Amino acid sequence: MLKIKEGSLQHWAIRIVGFALLALLVIYIPTQSETARIGQFASAFTLIIAAMSLNMVLGFTGQISLGHSAFFGIGGYTAAILIRDHGWSPGYTFYAAAVIAFVVGCLIGLPVLRIRGAYLALVTLAVAVLFPTLLRWKKLEWLTDGAKGIDSVKYDDLPVWPILGELKGRDGRAVFSYWLGLLVLVIVYLVCRGLIRSRVGRSLIAIRDNETAAAVMGVNVTRTKVLIFGISASMCALAGVLATLNSGVVTPDGQFVTLLGSIIFLLIMVVGGAGTLSGPIIGGLVYVWLDNTTRGIGTDSSGVLGFVFGWTDQSPATLILGLALIVIMLFAPTGLMGLLRKLTRRIMTIIPRDISPTQ
Amino acid sequence: MERLLQYIFDGLSFGAIYALLALGLVVVFRGTGHLNFAQGEMAMFCTFIIWQINDWGVPLILAVVIGMVFGFLLGAGTEATVIRSVAKKSPGGVFVVSIALFLGLNSLATMIWDRAEGYTMGSLFPNKPLDFVRVLGAEWRYKFIGVLVVALALMGLLFLLFSKTKFGLAMRSVASNPESARLVGVPSGVVLASSWGIAAAMGALSGALVGGINGQLTPSLMFSVFIYASAAATLGGLDSPGGAVIAGLSIGIGEQLVAGYIPGWIGQDLKLSVALISIFVVLLVKPSGLFGSLKVERV
Repeated sequence: MLKIKEGSLQHWAIRIVGFALLALLVIYIPTQSETARIGQFASAFTLIIAAMSLNMVLGFTGQISLGHSAFFGIGGYTAAILIRDHGWSPGYTFYAAAVIAFVVGCLIGLPVLRIRGAYLALVTLAVAVLFPTLLRWKKLEWLTDGAKGIDSVKYDDLPVWPILGELKGRDGRAVFSYWLGLLVLVIVYLVCRGLIRSRVGRSLIAIRDNETAAAVMGVNVTRTKVLIFGISASMCALAGVLATLNSGVVTPDGQFVTLLGSIIFLLIMVVGGAGTLSGPIIGGLVYVWLDNTTRGIGTDSSGVLGFVFGWTDQSPATLILGLALIVIMLFAPTGLMGLLRKLTRRIMTIIPRDISPTQ
Repeated sequence: MERLLQYIFDGLSFGAIYALLALGLVVVFRGTGHLNFAQGEMAMFCTFIIWQINDWGVPLILAVVIGMVFGFLLGAGTEATVIRSVAKKSPGGVFVVSIALFLGLNSLATMIWDRAEGYTMGSLFPNKPLDFVRVLGAEWRYKFIGVLVVALALMGLLFLLFSKTKFGLAMRSVASNPESARLVGVPSGVVLASSWGIAAAMGALSGALVGGINGQLTPSLMFSVFIYASAAATLGGLDSPGGAVIAGLSIGIGEQLVAGYIPGWIGQDLKLSVALISIFVVLLVKPSGLFGSLKVERV
C-alpha cells in the first residue's frame, strides 16, 4: 500500500494526472458522441446541480427538504417568462432566477426551519405539492399560462464562443447545452467547495451533527440555516434555468417541477453519497445512465432484463431505481462515493499535512 | 343549514379515511421514530390485491380481510428485513428507504395492473343513486355512513389495543425507551414489526374504502389521500394518535367547507392547498403539532 504525504510531489502528480484525465474525458464527450448522448450528459449536469444544492441543505446541514422541486420550477419559470414575455437574453435570466429563488428560499426557510426532523419532511413535502397547483391556479394564469405551461421558449442567437467553433442546428444546440451546463456545474461546485471549507461550512456540519451543541459553541443556528436554504434554493433555480434553456418548455406537470423532482434529486444525492462534494456528480451520472438503459427494457424483450420484465408493457425503470436505492442503503449507506473512498484507501493513503501550531 | 350539514357529514366520512391513514403514520412514528413515506403506496398496493382477489370470485368483504392480512405481512416483513438493518447503519436512511418503497411499489403496481383507465372497484356498502337517508335535510349516503362507522370502529379497537392490552403496553414501552424495554424482556423486534404491520393493514382498509367511494382503482389512488393524511398527522402531532384522528376529521370537514362555499376563488385544485397552508400556520405556532409532545434533547 502506498503512503503519500499531502502536498508532496507524488500527491501533486496524482492530482494533475487525475485532473488531466477528467479534462480529456470532458472534452472527448461532446466532440466524439452522438447528439442524443450529448443531450443526456447535458440533462445529467442539470440534475447534478440540483442534487448538489439539495446536498448543501440535507447532506451537510441535515435539514430534510422535499421542496427543492419548487425552486427548480421557480428557476425554470423565471427563465421562460423573462425570455418569452420580456425578451431577455438567456444569459441574464440566470442572475434573475438566482436572486428570486434566494429571496423565496429565505422566506420559506425562515418559518420552516424552526421545524425539525419528520415534521420538516412533511412541511417541505407540502411545498412541493403546493407549487404545481399554484402554477395551475386561475388567478396566476396571466403569468404562468396555467396548466398548459410555457412552451416555445426560443432564443435564436447561440453565442459564438471561439473555443467551441461554430454551433449550428440541433447538434450545435446540444453541444452548447453541454458546455453551458458544465460551466454552471463547475461554478456551483466551486461555490459549494468554498462554502464547505469555510467557517460557514463548519457551522453547517456542526448543526447537522448536533444542533444544540452548535448553538452552544456560538453558531447562529437560525441565520446559518436560513442562509444556506436561500443559497441552496438559488443553486437549484440555476438548474431549473438550464433545464428550460435545454428543452424550451416548462409545464406544471414537468417531471422535475413536481414532487417527483425532489425525490429524484434526493435519490441522486443519496446514491452518490450524501455530505460529500463530488457525490452528486457520480450519483447524477449513474442516475441518467440507469434511467436511459432501463427505459427501453419494457418495450424490447431481449437480454436478461428483458427476460425478467418481458411480461409487462410498462418500463421497470422506476422499480429498478427503487430496488437499487434499497440495496445501496443496505450495503453502502455512504453511497458510491463512500465505496470509492474505501477502495482507494486499500491502494493508497494520503497522510494529511502536519497541522500542529507553529511556534 | 342543510348545505352546511351536508358538507360536515361528507367531510366526516372523508376525514375518517384520512384519519385511518394518518393513524398508520403515527403508529409507525411512535414505534420507530421514522416517517413512512410509503404508507399511501402500501395501501394502494394492498387495494389492488383486494381488487384482484375479489376479481377471482372471492366476496369483497373477505377479500378486504385477506388484503389486510397481506398488508400486515407486507408491513411487518418490510420492517423486519430492510428497515431494521438500515436503521442500525444510518437513521436517516430509513426515510430514503421508504421513498424507495414508494417508487418501487407504485412502479410495480403500474407494471402488474397495467391499464391506463384503471379498474372498477366494488364498494363494501350499498352504492346506488338512491341509497341514502335524509337526516335534517342532508343526504346521508349509505356508503359514507358505512365508511364512517368502519373507520371509527377500527380506531376504537386500536385505542383499546394500545391502552388495555399487554401488547399495547409493550408498544408504548418500546416507543418510550427501546433499550430499557428490551432489558426488561419486551420482545421489541416483534413489537416494531407488528407496528409496521398494523399500520399497513390499516392502510389496506383505508385503500379499500377510498376505492369503494371512488369506484375506480388506479396506481395514483392513494397519493392525494396520503397528502391529506400526512397533513393530518403533522397537524395533530406525529406522536399523538388522538391528534391524528381529530386533525383528520377536521381536515376532511374543512376541505368540504372550503370547496363548497368558496369554489369560485379557490377551485377544486386548490382545496388541497388550504389544508397544507393551515399546517404551515399551526406549525409556526406549535412546531410539533397541536397534540404532539415536544422532543427534549440531551446534548
